[in-house]
Amino acid sequence: MKTLSLFRAAGLALVLTGLANGPALAGDSAQAQYEDMYQQAKAAQKRAASVEGEWRDIGKFLKKAQALAKKGDYEAAFKLARKAYIQGKLGYTQALSQQKVDWPSYFK
Amino acid sequence: MLKRIITLAGTLGLCLSLATPAQAGPKEDLARFQHFYLKRFPGVPLKEFANGVYAIDKVSRENWEAIEEFPPYEPYVEEGKEMWNTPFKDGKGYKDCFPDGPAIKADYPRWDAASKRVLTLELAINECRQAHGEKPLKYKKGPIAILTAYIAWESRGKPTHVVIPDDPDARAAYERGKRFWLARRGQLNFSCATCHAQNAGKHIRADILSPALGHTTHFPVYRSKWGELGTLHRRFTGCNKQVRAKPFKPQSEQYRDLEYFLTYMSNGIPLNGPGARK
Amino acid sequence: MRTAPFPPLSGMALASAMALTAGLAAPLQATAGPSAQALEQGRKIAFTRKLGNCLACHHIAGGTAAGNIGPPLVAMKQRYPNKAKLHAQIWDATVANPETPMPPFGRHQILTERQIDLLTDYIWSL
Repeated sequence: MKTLSLFRAAGLALVLTGLANGPALAGDSAQAQYEDMYQQAKAAQKRAASVEGEWRDIGKFLKKAQALAKKGDYEAAFKLARKAYIQGKLGYTQALSQQKVDWPSYFK
Repeated sequence: MLKRIITLAGTLGLCLSLATPAQAGPKEDLARFQHFYLKRFPGVPLKEFANGVYAIDKVSRENWEAIEEFPPYEPYVEEGKEMWNTPFKDGKGYKDCFPDGPAIKADYPRWDAASKRVLTLELAINECRQAHGEKPLKYKKGPIAILTAYIAWESRGKPTHVVIPDDPDARAAYERGKRFWLARRGQLNFSCATCHAQNAGKHIRADILSPALGHTTHFPVYRSKWGELGTLHRRFTGCNKQVRAKPFKPQSEQYRDLEYFLTYMSNGIPLNGPGARK
Repeated sequence: MRTAPFPPLSGMALASAMALTAGLAAPLQATAGPSAQALEQGRKIAFTRKLGNCLACHHIAGGTAAGNIGPPLVAMKQRYPNKAKLHAQIWDATVANPETPMPPFGRHQILTERQIDLLTDYIWSL
């Protein structure tokens, strides 16, 4: 019972710190977390591009993120890389939804 | 009673013919596309759409007519004529690649069956240059725009007449161009149709959205915003960036297919390049 | 050894706990409206080109050279008696109309959730 509530507390802590959202593990260093996020973002960018759905700023965000990481600001770099990752996913979803697009109703 | 049967049969027949087109293809798309704009802007004849917003807005037209008294593209046309008449390093010239030139704008874009792709004027120009030992020109502005300004000027009055041959690859390129034009893209989620069809004629801030019908007739264009000439693919690039989509490269397959579709949609409208726009 | 997650509450503690939750679940109308500061933040988001850029398409009192792609933003409480519906419209207008020209400010993360909250309050006040 004591261990049970301990687990609950740990889970709550994870959720509250938002680390449960990211793909990185809670125990990793900030640098490792960033690098993982960067790779995820790169993959998302590639995937969006593969269906002609890449958004304008993804490349810029990733460049900026790398620059921030070089300076050692892994927290800011991570945030920017995650932004790029999310935009990559959104662009991919958007492109897929438009693949069979047809004349809108106002053309009929 | 008989009258009722006949009316019913007639209506049914009409419904059937509208609902089940023989094979919904480019011809049907063209009719649908042009009909949309002719209905949206009644009183504007088809040919007038070559003038974009100036065909549909009085105030803009007055400003534009004033500009056209001393057209900003005129010096470029002169420069383009010089380019056309300047021989290549090997002694040949553009006339050798384009015997019918310089009034050749209406021949492009066209389907090139041999290379299975849409051939645009700019692409053909660079292939001509490379065949004669010259460096290719960049595709958005500068010399390519200057040369095509002269070609466009000489081609004025010729009707847009893109052909989609009965060839599955040509048809596929057309369809890709059409889907590109209709698809939402970028973080702002706009398609070309959103601005240039659905909301054509409306104001976005202080600008008026131009109708897509007639979009291709007046390129290359002197845009006040650019302070110089630019090609159609330069404009494609800008538009894609504006909706926060990553643009494609000028003369990429995506933009050539788009040009193919878009130019076809203006079939019948006389060429009037180079143009002047805001 | 206890199996229940929480120890049973005493009568007094239970009553206070219920009062607290009742207070938290109170309808929005019972709470005070957005501060003048918050409304100003929302207005800034509406009028900034890189953020809401609402003037591109909508006429808003106090704005100049507004577009007319969307309806003018007036009498908003009458048009959207339920503020949550206005929030949803700003978040993703394609739900109400798949052919809408309005960008999905929330779904496409053009604005942050906080920005959309502030913007909604401001627009609703028009």
